[in-house]
Amino acid sequence: MGINQLSTLEHILITTKVEKVMNWSRATSVWPVTFGLACCAIEMMAAGASRFDFDRFGAGIFRATPRQADLMIIAGTVTYKMAPVIKTLYDQMPEPKWVIAMGSCATAGGPFDSYHTIQGVDKVIPVDVFIPGCPPRPESLIYGFMKLQDKIMTSSLADRYKDIFEEVG
Amino acid sequence: MFKNQEMEINLGPQHPSTHGVLRVKLRLDGETITHCRPMIGYLHRGVEKICENQTFFQGQVWTDRMDYCSAVANNLGWAEANEKLFGITVPRRAQYIRTLLNEFNRLASHLIWLATHALDIGAMTVFLYAFREREDILDMNEAFCGSRLTTTAFRIGGLREDLPPGFEKLVKKFLAKFPTCLEEYENLLNENRIWKKRTVGVAKLSAEDAIAMGVTGPVLRAAGVPYDIRKAFPYAAYAEMDFEVPTRTEADTYARYLVRMAEMRQSARIIQQCMDGMPEGPVMAKLPKILKAEVNEVYHATEAPKGELGYYLVGEKGSGNPYRFHVRAPGFINLQSLPKMAEGGLIADIVAAIGTLDIVLGEIDR
Amino acid sequence: MTEPVPQIPEVPAAPAGPYVYDYAASPQRQIVMPKTVPLPSLKTYQAEVVAAAAADEAKWVKMQADFETAKTKAEAEGKDAPKPPVRPVPRKDDNDMKTPWPQEAKDADLLLLQERLGGKVEETFEQAGELTCQVSKDAILEALQLCRADAGLNYEMLADQSATHYPAATGFAFSVVYHLTSISRRKRLRLRILVPEGFTPESACAVYPGANWMEREIYDMLGIRFANHPDMTRILCPEDWEGYPLRKDYPVVGWGQRDISFREDRGGRLDLIAQQKAGQLGINLKQPKAE
Repeated sequence: MGINQLSTLEHILITTKVEKVMNWSRATSVWPVTFGLACCAIEMMAAGASRFDFDRFGAGIFRATPRQADLMIIAGTVTYKMAPVIKTLYDQMPEPKWVIAMGSCATAGGPFDSYHTIQGVDKVIPVDVFIPGCPPRPESLIYGFMKLQDKIMTSSLADRYKDIFEEVG
Repeated sequence: MFKNQEMEINLGPQHPSTHGVLRVKLRLDGETITHCRPMIGYLHRGVEKICENQTFFQGQVWTDRMDYCSAVANNLGWAEANEKLFGITVPRRAQYIRTLLNEFNRLASHLIWLATHALDIGAMTVFLYAFREREDILDMNEAFCGSRLTTTAFRIGGLREDLPPGFEKLVKKFLAKFPTCLEEYENLLNENRIWKKRTVGVAKLSAEDAIAMGVTGPVLRAAGVPYDIRKAFPYAAYAEMDFEVPTRTEADTYARYLVRMAEMRQSARIIQQCMDGMPEGPVMAKLPKILKAEVNEVYHATEAPKGELGYYLVGEKGSGNPYRFHVRAPGFINLQSLPKMAEGGLIADIVAAIGTLDIVLGEIDR
Repeated sequence: MTEPVPQIPEVPAAPAGPYVYDYAASPQRQIVMPKTVPLPSLKTYQAEVVAAAAADEAKWVKMQADFETAKTKAEAEGKDAPKPPVRPVPRKDDNDMKTPWPQEAKDADLLLLQERLGGKVEETFEQAGELTCQVSKDAILEALQLCRADAGLNYEMLADQSATHYPAATGFAFSVVYHLTSISRRKRLRLRILVPEGFTPESACAVYPGANWMEREIYDMLGIRFANHPDMTRILCPEDWEGYPLRKDYPVVGWGQRDISFREDRGGRLDLIAQQKAGQLGINLKQPKAE
């Protein structure tokens, strides 16, 4: 038997950690909530359409309700009137949840430094990945999404429950 | 006050069918809408205030982000308004290229309308097909000015550069296959029983109501009024183009669908004429280095894909910034007619009504 | 806000480094009140042209007088006479820009309006191919009704209604502009009224129902209320917004409302609603925690 040939048992068994399996399953089936606000929404739709297919990452099904979604892609400008709505929607998403801030408006207010624009959505909700661009090309969005997948793959179960673990001891 | 069985419900700012952040407060009696009140402002970015602090040249950047489905239409309106304010004549070749790009972006905007409208009503295949065509148009945008969506394509006085080499080949390739694509969409939707059941007789807006409300664009033309600014007050190179203005009389969603499909055909015709008759010459007018305004106010309207897009500019003597920069957005005025269209209908029809108005919240809220 | 003087919000601390951007000096944080009144008008233009011609003439006369005195002085001292002055010719620009100036009103529509409304028309002129008619602020409804109903005018559609703030003007503070379109006759017309602070013009909704949202936007952005409007509330800014953004004394970045941190309030809004409801029912939600 050569070194590279698998033994009989290895044909049907993979050994791994529970954490790795959970991370892999979470990263490869992230379901975003439809949350296009402005111009970046058009590029998000283009990313989901035929040329830059988003479905091949497992993220093709955009859920209409945040209660069934994992990911919120803030695509567009966040305004003062919209910020409480974003907060409510974020709170309605069940854990584990991630946020991608797509475009310069969601990152830092973009070209709109005015009285009604919040300078960045991270003043409203915590953000995992920032994607610059105005609007970012669909390839940029896919790159940012892959970075998020990397983040999910390397995250550990202890991240979100750190406070509870520290309390319990 | 409420009747016993009335329910007040929110078609919220986050909704897959509201084409952006539109909120509609509905009062329902069962499935019938008795009262409808659209509430906007969730994307109000203060563009008019920002542009008062920017120079005349810099204002174009914010115009792309208003009607983001077809940025070039906004750019054209802005460039023409500024040229009217300063009294600048644009060379003929620049006018032809502007018309060409404008018509391509009219196609792009109508394709988004078709994709999202069909998606709302349930025909999901059309979404993928329409976006496939739109990618080709965005390739052309990118070849000309470097950006797919927010183009900033024109300059006051003409264009920055001439067409890149190889552009004609792209246009020829696109025009060769576009009529077959249109036939594909029409095969899917025109005689489709479900499509007809959901669009014929739905969201009617008569011509008198439309004119009284100031509604323009395909919504007005589907009600029987052949008002198209490209024919009524010609601008750019439209006076030299030969095209028709499609009109219908039924004034319901199906009529607006037919009008927009016919408009796409006419746009392809205009593009062909532009390519055939393109004159030689410079693409930029001779201008002084710094543009300082005189006391002047202009209102210049163009036919954007959504309706009449108007720019109201006021200049101050010796200032490089506009004193007032106001945009008459077609979506803002068209959305006022939503209660007229939706009240009395079923709740499923309001989705068709919003889709057929073809609104973009970026220009409504500015 | 109960503060007597609202402050422009604090700038974030600038990071140290080779390139430091001065946030406080950015144009969005300044309030620059305009010193001129850029209201296009035939009368002011004609007055300016006359004044410019008079100034030019005075300058030429002074140049000649100076030359005469210099010549006599040189002859008295025995030196050569200085060069005679040459009348300065305005420089010809060979660019494609011809500024449109206001001109006399010759169009039939403007003459008809002047005839029908008589003394209520304050001014009519044409500029850049557009017809403008300024009416007195109390007569705007009558003017709009005339434009819509009259068979010779027949302006069926109100294309746009907008307003501008002129803080440097005396006698008025805003100008409200109505752009009318006649679809059948293919013509456009602009009606204008000058409105002082606090005046409520008549709403155009009676004549053109499409003015509903346009006037709400003018109220939201500039603070001009309209009489007999079906729904005079803010439309773009939230209902409880204070201040009128498009006025010239309002900075682009606002008075600090946008810098409120929404994030500290994690679940706070829902908690607040829950506490209010519980308070109505007599339940105390704030239970003491066991130590």
